[in-house]
Amino acid sequence: MRVLGITKKGVALVLTAQLLIATQTATMAQAEMLATENAINKYATHADRDYLMDALQRDDVQAAMIEEGVDPAEAEARLAALSDAEVEALVVQMQNDTAGADIVGTLFTVFVILLVTDILCFTRIYNFTRCAR
Amino acid sequence: MDPTATFSGAATRAHVDGVPRIQQDAFFCGPTAIAMVMQWAGSDIQQDQIAELAFSPRAKGTYQADMIGSSRRLGQLAVEISTFDQLLAEVAAGHPVIVFQNLGLGIAPVWHYGVVTGYDLERDAVYLNSGQEDQMVLPFDLFQRTWQRGGNWALVVLPPDDLPVSVAEARVLSAAAALERVGQMSAAETLYQTGAKQWPDSWLWQFGLGNALYAQGDLRGARAALRRARAIAPDVPEIRSNLAHVEAELGG
Repeated sequence: MRVLGITKKGVALVLTAQLLIATQTATMAQAEMLATENAINKYATHADRDYLMDALQRDDVQAAMIEEGVDPAEAEARLAALSDAEVEALVVQMQNDTAGADIVGTLFTVFVILLVTDILCFTRIYNFTRCAR
Repeated sequence: MDPTATFSGAATRAHVDGVPRIQQDAFFCGPTAIAMVMQWAGSDIQQDQIAELAFSPRAKGTYQADMIGSSRRLGQLAVEISTFDQLLAEVAAGHPVIVFQNLGLGIAPVWHYGVVTGYDLERDAVYLNSGQEDQMVLPFDLFQRTWQRGGNWALVVLPPDDLPVSVAEARVLSAAAALERVGQMSAAETLYQTGAKQWPDSWLWQFGLGNALYAQGDLRGARAALRRARAIAPDVPEIRSNLAHVEAELGG
C-alpha cells in the first residue's frame, strides 16, 4: 500500500530510526553524572521546614504541646507562617543549643515547645521569632 | 544601645587570635580583607594576587559577588551572613568575619571592607582589622550604623575543614557545590567530608563527595561515597543514577 508515496517499508524504516534515536538519547542522559548543585536545589531547600514540621507531628511532641495548652494544629499553622529565613535561623539555633545532646530526646521536645510558645507570645527564647499577638 | 542587654544571648567577649593586620594598597580593601582571613587560616597569599581575581579597576573597588567568587576560586568556603547575632556567633566560635561598611554618609558614601576580629559587650567595643596598621575599635552603635549603611553584608571565609556555626546546612552545601562549579574539587572534597561528619544523617554530603571524587578520577572512592549515600537514602534516583554510572565505568 502506498500512502502519499511512502511505502510500508519506508514507514517501518523511519519508525525504527526514531526508536533508535530515542533509545540512544535515554542512554546518553544517564551517561552523565548528575550535578550536586541540582540535587541540593531539589532536596535541601525545604529540608529545614520539613524537619520542624516532622518534629511537630511526633506523638511525644504533640502530647507535650497539649499538656502545655497548645493546639497542635495552630502550632503547625504558625510554623507555616514563618519565612524561610526565620525557619533557617531557628534550626541553626536549635542545632547549636542542642549540640552534643540527644536531639531526638526530651531536650529536643523542649526546644520545639519553646518555639511554639515563643510564637504564641508565652515565652521569649528565640531572638528571631515574631510574637504573633 | 546597651550591647550587654541587646545581645544577652551572646558570649560577653570574644577575640580571634592570629589575624594579621595588613596595610592595604590604594582601593584594595576587599582583597586585603580576604588576604587577612586566608593568612589567618595559614595561607601566604598576598592582596595583589587576590586583586587579580576580585578587583574591578574601573569601579576602583571590589564587588561583593567578586569577594565571594574569588574566595571560592582560591578554594575557600565562603558564605554570606546578615545579622548581628550571626556575626557575634561566628566571632565567638573563633572565626574572623569580613564586613562591608559605609564609613561615610548616605549622601557621601565611603565604602569599605574590614575584618571583625573581636568584640566586648561590657566595654561596648567591636574590634576590626581594617586595612591599616592600627586596630580599629568602634562602639557597637557606630559599628552597627556603618554596617547597616553597607546593607548588613558580611562574609565568612574559612578553609574547607572548618564550618561556619551560624548558617543552615543547605547554605554550606551550596558553598560546597560552588567549589565544584569553579573546579576546586579537592577543596569541595574536604568540605563534603567535613559536612558529612557534622550532619551524618544527610545523604547530600556523601553524594557531593562522590561527585567530587569522580571529577578527580577516583572512581573507587566515588563508588564508596555514593554507596554510603544510598545507605542513608535508598530511594533517591540521583544517587542510583550516579552510582550506576560509576559502577559501569569500573566495569560492574
